[in-house]
Amino acid sequence: MVRDTADRARSQAVPQQPDDARSLFVAALLALPGRGLRSVIRSAAMTPGRLTIIAVGLIGLTAIAALTASFAVRDRSDTLTDLTERREPLAAAAQQVYRALSDADATAASAFLATGEEPEELRQRYENDVAMAGSSLSKAASDPAATPRMTAQIDVISQQLPVYTGLVETARANNRQGFPVGASYLREASALMRSVILPAAEELYRIDTEQVAEQQDDAGGFPLVAALFVVALLAALVATQLYLKRRTNRVLNLGLVMATAAIGVGVLWSVAALTVQSVLIGSGKDDGTEQVEVLVQARIAALKSRADETLTLVARGDGGEGYEQEFILLSKQMAGDDGSGGWLADVAASAKDGTPLASEIALAQESAEQWLRAHAKVRELDNAGNYAEAVQLAIDVGKSDGAAVAFVALDDHLRAAIEEARQSFYDDTTAASRVVTLLAPGWIVLGVVAALGVGAGIRERVREYR
Amino acid sequence: MSRRRRRLAAVLAAFLAGALLLAGCGAAGAPPNLAPQVTAHRPLPANAQVNPEIDNEGAVNDDCGNPTASLRPKGIATPRGSTMAEIKRRGILRVGVDQNTFLFGFRNPATGNLEGFDIAVASEIATALFGDPNRVRFKAITSQQRIDVLRDGTVDVVVRTMTINCERRELIEFSSVYFVAGQRVLVTKRSGYTGLADLAGKKVCATTGSTSLSNIASAASGPVPVAVDNWSDCLVLLQQGQVEAISTDDTILAGMAQQDPATHVVGPKFTSEPYGVGIPKEDTDMVRYVNAVLAKFRKSTWQAVYDRWIEPALGPGTPPEPTYK
Repeated sequence: MVRDTADRARSQAVPQQPDDARSLFVAALLALPGRGLRSVIRSAAMTPGRLTIIAVGLIGLTAIAALTASFAVRDRSDTLTDLTERREPLAAAAQQVYRALSDADATAASAFLATGEEPEELRQRYENDVAMAGSSLSKAASDPAATPRMTAQIDVISQQLPVYTGLVETARANNRQGFPVGASYLREASALMRSVILPAAEELYRIDTEQVAEQQDDAGGFPLVAALFVVALLAALVATQLYLKRRTNRVLNLGLVMATAAIGVGVLWSVAALTVQSVLIGSGKDDGTEQVEVLVQARIAALKSRADETLTLVARGDGGEGYEQEFILLSKQMAGDDGSGGWLADVAASAKDGTPLASEIALAQESAEQWLRAHAKVRELDNAGNYAEAVQLAIDVGKSDGAAVAFVALDDHLRAAIEEARQSFYDDTTAASRVVTLLAPGWIVLGVVAALGVGAGIRERVREYR
Repeated sequence: MSRRRRRLAAVLAAFLAGALLLAGCGAAGAPPNLAPQVTAHRPLPANAQVNPEIDNEGAVNDDCGNPTASLRPKGIATPRGSTMAEIKRRGILRVGVDQNTFLFGFRNPATGNLEGFDIAVASEIATALFGDPNRVRFKAITSQQRIDVLRDGTVDVVVRTMTINCERRELIEFSSVYFVAGQRVLVTKRSGYTGLADLAGKKVCATTGSTSLSNIASAASGPVPVAVDNWSDCLVLLQQGQVEAISTDDTILAGMAQQDPATHVVGPKFTSEPYGVGIPKEDTDMVRYVNAVLAKFRKSTWQAVYDRWIEPALGPGTPPEPTYK
């Protein structure tokens, strides 16, 4: 019958257009699926044939379900590995860019305030900051999956950073000759840093952080497609067993029971592993990345405030009021009025007692309090006209009750706290990835077992017809 | 059979040709360009504004006669109960000064000390009071703060390139004139400009809210005013080629010319800015005292101070004659 159709097609095509081979070819092609379908329908009409078709269908479905489940698990595992090995480190690099740039700004202003020759340690710190910013920027820029918005921020930073350093050097050269225009160059450099470069760095960090959060949600999501296939497979297995029972009056088919059990084990295993995994991902978020986010905000605020503190003094009583207002605003957001509030308090409240993070935060709060006290004294001295003493208290790293010492301590503790929180994230997320390490190959093995079970079980029934 | 096979070969060949044709269709386009042409953006000082709105608060009140006429000096005695006796009891003279204006009041970065013409005047007063030029506490103030710090008693006197005019005279007292400045123009030597008249349509810098800025905006030649926070910011803009000129008191311009040998002060003085020491309105005894100190200063060290700070940039000068009521 099939051949008849094909022959008819050919015999129709040939006489009309003997030279046109194309229609002949197409007709043969079109006839193929029809031929297959008809043969299937023909064998489905008989029970042994029907059983074979059921077996083929079940084995096919088993293969699809097991592979999809295995891929879904592998995919989650890959997402988590990507998160810990690439995405989160990129966000950390972006944070480093911001920190280094901001610290360079504050340090350049401090070095500028020193009388006589510029202190070697401040010069060194500024140079290290610039080197660090350049190096972290190239890491942050190395992300092949960077969105156009990220690329735009990186462009801004890499175009303006050389301009910034140029202005700072012009400021130094003028200052060395005793020219007040040096202070103006420094203020222009700082304005460039604060109005163009730092916002770009902040935006870059924000986008990176968003991507981390997105990827965390991604990894913790429900594998819908795989679940649907597995449920469909289980339903098909049960239905087949019911059908066979009706047809043959035998309650159990060992092969099919084995197949059902294998898939059942896979489901239970997956549910257990994925539940543990989501808990771990969640704790990596709560104790890790979310803490990092708040801590970074606090650190950024501390750095900006430090620059404000020094720039108020660089302005030498002329146009420095805006800096001081910003200091008050930012330091309050960071640590409240006396070091015991703000973002630092938020982190302290949610950090678990006795962890290294909690102790670093406590130290950071202490330093913040010292710094705010020193700052109040600096302002008092400067406002009373004791400019030289105010500068001394603000920048001298040898003064234990000075602002410089307290600020450096605060920055160090915040850095350590950020490292601790990152470590928590890394530990939890790596553990989350390991929980499912065996599950992906496990699904393949279970799939093979189930397929063998289906094959053996149905073969047994087919044989009974012979 | 062989005919059919040939036909099949023909079909295959046709297919291949079609596929090749399809793939070859359309232009290839340009290669991706990862390094497009970029142009640099010049940075600006904080709060710099090109052609800002200038509120001209009407004509300045000019009907107070001669504002520079001060109280006649009565020697340098410090009777009991006088303002000077109070300062001597305290042991230190509090002076509001500038620490940003090169040559008049600025902080020497090498020593951390304040120096300049204004600082010399303040030291002169301290020397008269205590016999020691160092018994001074300088308070750096902005030009906007000058009158406030006198009225609330934060300082005893203000020596900060302060022009004597009728408007200010209503709020505070002034000593006799110790320096007469005037608005002129600073340009680069290469530019060849000789005054504000050459600067039609060109950008000229001054500080926000200063009278110099209004004078630029109302100049007949029509320059474009650019406003910044600090005088030094103007020099930054001039050095970066973002403005063609700076226009304000020649004293301030002289300070800038000293910092950049490629610039010079040009054109005539087109305003007259008599500088005086600002003193709280009720301290008339202090006004007479300061005038006595200044009278001595004009005869003794004025010339030396002028020659040290101002002469290199503005050429020779002589002390202004005081006028008294």
